[in-house]
Amino acid sequence: MDEGDSWGMLACLCTVLWHLPAVPALNRTGDLGPGPSIQKTYDLTRYLEHQLRSLAGTYLNYLGPPFNEPDFNPPRLGAETLPRATVDLEVWRSLNDKLRLTQNYEAYSHLLCYLRGLNRQAATAELRRSLAHFCTSLQGLLGSIAGVMAALGYPLPQPLPGTEPTWTPGPAHSDFLQKMDDFWLLKELQTWLWRSAKDFNRLKKKMQPPAAAVTVHLGAHGF
Amino acid sequence: MAAPVPWACCAVLAAAAAVVYTQRHSPQEAPYVQYERLGSDVTLPCGTANWDAAVTWRVNGTDLAPDLLNGSELVLRGLELGHSGLYACFHRDSWHLRHQVLLHVGLPPREPVLSCRSNTYPKGFYCNWHLPTPTYIPNTFNVTVLHGSKIMVCEKDPALKNRCHIRYMHLFSTIKYKVSISVSNALGHNATAITFDEFTIVKPDPPENVVARPVPSNPRRLEVTWQTPSTWPDPESFPLKFFLRYRPLILDQWQHVELSDGTAHTITDAYAGKEYIIQVAAKDNEIGTWSDWSVAAHATPWTEEPRHLTTEAQAAETTTSTTSSLAPPPTTKICDPGELGSGGGPLAPFLVSVPVTLALAAAAATASNLLI
Repeated sequence: MDEGDSWGMLACLCTVLWHLPAVPALNRTGDLGPGPSIQKTYDLTRYLEHQLRSLAGTYLNYLGPPFNEPDFNPPRLGAETLPRATVDLEVWRSLNDKLRLTQNYEAYSHLLCYLRGLNRQAATAELRRSLAHFCTSLQGLLGSIAGVMAALGYPLPQPLPGTEPTWTPGPAHSDFLQKMDDFWLLKELQTWLWRSAKDFNRLKKKMQPPAAAVTVHLGAHGF
Repeated sequence: MAAPVPWACCAVLAAAAAVVYTQRHSPQEAPYVQYERLGSDVTLPCGTANWDAAVTWRVNGTDLAPDLLNGSELVLRGLELGHSGLYACFHRDSWHLRHQVLLHVGLPPREPVLSCRSNTYPKGFYCNWHLPTPTYIPNTFNVTVLHGSKIMVCEKDPALKNRCHIRYMHLFSTIKYKVSISVSNALGHNATAITFDEFTIVKPDPPENVVARPVPSNPRRLEVTWQTPSTWPDPESFPLKFFLRYRPLILDQWQHVELSDGTAHTITDAYAGKEYIIQVAAKDNEIGTWSDWSVAAHATPWTEEPRHLTTEAQAAETTTSTTSSLAPPPTTKICDPGELGSGGGPLAPFLVSVPVTLALAAAAATASNLLI
């Protein structure tokens, strides 16, 4: 089961990467620059966040109490391999563009794999459908981030063999612990989507052409 | 003959003064402080005096009726707030002060009300607390903040005694914060706690310096400007979006506009010559809730002549409803075209200004909806 899961992860990552749209390397000084694709990525994170709200609600109800209780506040045990959105404020603020994008890309790659694992185990057809739909959207987000990175000339992170996340339940991994892992996966996904909105907003501001140049141009034509 | 009598008087007075002095300043007297519950009954013994000792009780210097006494003990039934005071019992004959009790009548604390809010995201948040009903006696509060298993420091506010501040160490945390408060006084104890995620308590302060100005030569326009709240530390990285509402003073129904950026907006469908009230609210682009409404700005659109009601002039005008936001605003009103005075026109989400020609076309279709 362990090996199967590792292979599953590897296959998953490879699939994700191979299905990325071939983005021609854009000239950085080109007409539009990466701005529109950053905006698109930002919009995708908002869309996914909305989608996740209903998906998580349904899934947590499926897990049952205490997971669907609003005050549920368990200690974070296990789920060590989940990519964590949490970061020190100053570190986050001072991330360079490449690192910011890379962290987002790697996080969603891993989260997508874990979600696909969740989908395989989900009991009801409706849940599987919702999860599959969400996975597709998430893959779209990955593609969008990849597009931005390519436009800016940053290389995509390549998974090294043997370093993929392995979703391997321990020998005594009970049903309850599995549900806890599911809970943290959804929580981390939600938090990452909030963080990404802030990340892409920051990138958007940095990429904006100086507004002054545009208005001066209009003014020169006189009224 | 006159001389010895006044002299004897002086001596007696001096002696009396000396007795009173020793009574007041006897070494045993620091009054015993006692707290009792409102509505209860209390029996105050006269220190170590025997039950059958002859004593007099006084409260704040006023004698108490002997029918309150049970032997040498003072019995007070159905304590009221007015019973609070300094009770003293004296040996009846020598006026020697036997015992003093400073009685405070109050209540044990009920469950405190605790709330937390972040108006300075991502710097930190603060928590406020209060008791729903007064206790009439001093209370001490103790606040603890837990982030997972980590204890965080809540720094007391320098000005407000029921507030403390917590600084965020990390952002984008999946672990909830738990704030607990316990309150205790001499009569009892209570506590409560709340847990929340970092994102849910974000609520900025209202926008500041909202100013509305008429636009010269434009009888239907008002230019509104405002500033992001000064408490929001980083509008660049954590931009705010704004919600503007406006109405003429004489109408009840608000028009709403949601603005994703910028701190200015021009209203283009104001009724000519009518004084408007305008307010703005702010929200982080992605997380948290809307701020309270700002202080209102008032303005009247530019008019060419002294203002007086000309009903034909108003009937010819039309309004174009500017927006109805899809995001939950503080006052969720959707412009209802059927309602009088709402400025019924085609609903155009996120439309900020409508070209004049379109407005006139809409006027032709909806002129009958017009009012004032």
